[in-house]
Amino acid sequence: MRILTLIRQVLDAEETVHIRSGEIDLNGSKLVVDTMDEYGVEQALRIRDSGVDVEVVALAVGPERNQEALRTVLSMGADRAIHVMTELALDPIPLSKVAAQIAQQERIDLIFCGGQQSDWDSHALGAATAERLQLPQVTWVSALEVHGQTLTGRHDVDDGSEMFSVQLPAVITTQQGLGEPRYPTVPNIIRAKKKELRIETLDQFHVDLKLNVLGAAVQAKARLHKILDGKDAPAAAAELVELLRNEARVIP
Amino acid sequence: MSNPATEKMRRVTGGSFLIEDLAPEDIFTLEDLSDVQRQIERTTIDFAEKQVQPQIAAIEAKDFSVMKGLLRKAGDLGLMAIDVPQEYGGFDMDKVTSALIAEKIAICGSFSVAFSAHVGIGTLPLIWYGTAQQKEKYLARLASGEWVAAYALSEASSGSDAMNIRTRATLSADGKHYVLDGEKMWISNAGIANLFTVFAKIDGEKFAAFLIESGTAGLTVGPEEHKLGIRGSSTCPLILADCHVPKENLLGEAGKGHHIAFNILNVGRYKLGAAAIGGAKYSFRSGVRYARERIAFSKPITSFGLVQQMIADSAAGIFAGESLVYRVIGAIDASLAERDKTAANNTAEIQKHIEEYAVECSILKVWCSEMLERVVDQMLQLHGGYGYVEEYPAERAYRDSRINRIFEGTNEINRLIITGWMMKRAMQGRLALLPAIQRVMDEIMAGPTPREEREGELADQHFLLANAKKLSLFCAGAASQKFGSGLVDEQEIMGALADMIMEVLVLESAILRTEKMQGSSPLAVLMVKCYAARSFRVVETAGERVLGAVAEGDMLRTRMTILRRLTKHEPENTVALGREIATAMTAAGRYTLQI
Repeated sequence: MRILTLIRQVLDAEETVHIRSGEIDLNGSKLVVDTMDEYGVEQALRIRDSGVDVEVVALAVGPERNQEALRTVLSMGADRAIHVMTELALDPIPLSKVAAQIAQQERIDLIFCGGQQSDWDSHALGAATAERLQLPQVTWVSALEVHGQTLTGRHDVDDGSEMFSVQLPAVITTQQGLGEPRYPTVPNIIRAKKKELRIETLDQFHVDLKLNVLGAAVQAKARLHKILDGKDAPAAAAELVELLRNEARVIP
Repeated sequence: MSNPATEKMRRVTGGSFLIEDLAPEDIFTLEDLSDVQRQIERTTIDFAEKQVQPQIAAIEAKDFSVMKGLLRKAGDLGLMAIDVPQEYGGFDMDKVTSALIAEKIAICGSFSVAFSAHVGIGTLPLIWYGTAQQKEKYLARLASGEWVAAYALSEASSGSDAMNIRTRATLSADGKHYVLDGEKMWISNAGIANLFTVFAKIDGEKFAAFLIESGTAGLTVGPEEHKLGIRGSSTCPLILADCHVPKENLLGEAGKGHHIAFNILNVGRYKLGAAAIGGAKYSFRSGVRYARERIAFSKPITSFGLVQQMIADSAAGIFAGESLVYRVIGAIDASLAERDKTAANNTAEIQKHIEEYAVECSILKVWCSEMLERVVDQMLQLHGGYGYVEEYPAERAYRDSRINRIFEGTNEINRLIITGWMMKRAMQGRLALLPAIQRVMDEIMAGPTPREEREGELADQHFLLANAKKLSLFCAGAASQKFGSGLVDEQEIMGALADMIMEVLVLESAILRTEKMQGSSPLAVLMVKCYAARSFRVVETAGERVLGAVAEGDMLRTRMTILRRLTKHEPENTVALGREIATAMTAAGRYTLQI
């Protein structure tokens, strides 16, 4: 069986977003593998660890620095990686076109994709990839097992969960609740250096970019520094309600 | 496995920084880390922040099952096997990698000390001096964290003077055992260790080391000490009473145990330097994050100049420290890369290469432990009253840092080593210190010379560095002229000279690193300028102290004229520099090189 895990490199949650000339500037910031994608990698490795004959292939589409993220995934234990290099910022629809073609070329049986992109919040990549490949998709998966050509698992819904089974090939979008992603150990980091990281160009995938990001801004959090005179408590309370309702507009 | 960058680097001899000038490309910096090194660094950060940090309260409460569990996890990740040879389950990697691990694991003093004692003084003697059988028996267990190691050298009446230990070993009548009697003090990891490296004198004369398993009859671990800091680490006395140790467990040669004791110290010292950088960065991060949230007079306190000054001063210290630590350890790696790895006595070669940099190792130990102390003090200060209570990490960091000036050789002993080692090398003709002193004297006596023209953003800092070198040589010359070889007994002067020597190495490392970055970090430029101003004051003050003690009357006046000439410069606007540095650090919420 061959598993494809889609990898996106994002800003570490602890980092501050810097905007320079209307664009997000990641220079010098700490970048990490998207946590949701990491859960996908971990799940793929667990399937392999359980004794199933699996090859785990990681795919990233983006600038050169993405190779750091792929190296991390190789160090976690993925068998090889493919990097489609581009400086263009692809939204999930063209991105899914690349992922689908790679999946076909590589005869992939199972695709893992983080349910939520921490930098776009679109939930669209897994679905779009499944649609292009005409494959079943299960979202919000929090438990998973492989039995031959069948996957069984749990799909979370708002106030509970549903159990499912699905025939391979399929697309699974992951989330927290699956097994905690492992750390790359020193021996695995050393071994990963020898693993294949294939670099491809974007042009062969004929993507059509229809969405352009024109600018970015960080929400400004200004403090009003307003101090209410508390000598007359009821009057101060009334003033506070008035301010919250009409100035800050945080209560109706 | 090592970083290709260090293999290409120019090899420098120990102590030569005082008399030679290097170019930026001659030194190793953190920016030169390889992919593998960065990934191991990342794994260590994740382990420290996600596994160790949530357990700090349990660690500090001396829940040793938590400590042992975490050590085991670190072993599972491979973090304890960096210096271990491959045939015993290790990775035999470069020293920069093990320093990175020491740095990143240092977010909790107690855990950091337990970890370092295990991989350093606990495991290294076995790696370096163990027989094949001894390594076969113990090394893989130590490298995996299954077993914890401890090192027992100090005694109640011998700390810095380690050669005076009283613990005795006698060969048993049947010749099968050594019988040990004595008491050891302040043994890190004693309460959790499975294997002890214990030093004793055979028949009260021959210094030797023994491997003793816990549970051996006659070996008793005493009660835990109640310490100022690193309270979660185990520190106990060790009592040896008629303790029978199998003869095969003698480590190294009888009568040469002191080689083990002293060679291990060099590694302990440079790793302490790296750990101090990690501790300082962690303390800095929590301090800055507190300060930017703390409102006083309706403003975050990070908007006040005197708070900014503490932030900037700490950041500049960390920057200089990083530059120093990785330059020196990178140089050790460059030197190690030249060794014949197939040689039968590979470990003796390793020690020889590290011993070459003994003076740099001592500098890392002293300078970084004092930088750390300055950082934790300032970070505590900006918490105000909250810094003095246990609720915030500042209080623990302040207590935990204090041990660093004491163990691995007190900073006083190490200052004597720094100046003494340079003098010894000079006398042996292995370091051209005397001709260098002569050159400086000749230059000075020829009268004032115009300042050397130099291009570049750091021209003023290069000028300060060049003069710091000259002044150090001038003062060393003046001191040895007065005392000759008796200088070793003038400890205060030796100490002041050590301060000057240290600042030369630190300042040069920070300047060269900044230049190697080629403008990629404007913040580094600000920090090196800020640090240079402080560093030069240290040199000037120490120089005055030396001159005041070695001359009087006209001679003193002449020498002070020379000192004034060498120290004359226009001050940088450190107020403006400090504000800019602090603003960037505050925005990042941590130590950073990117604005």
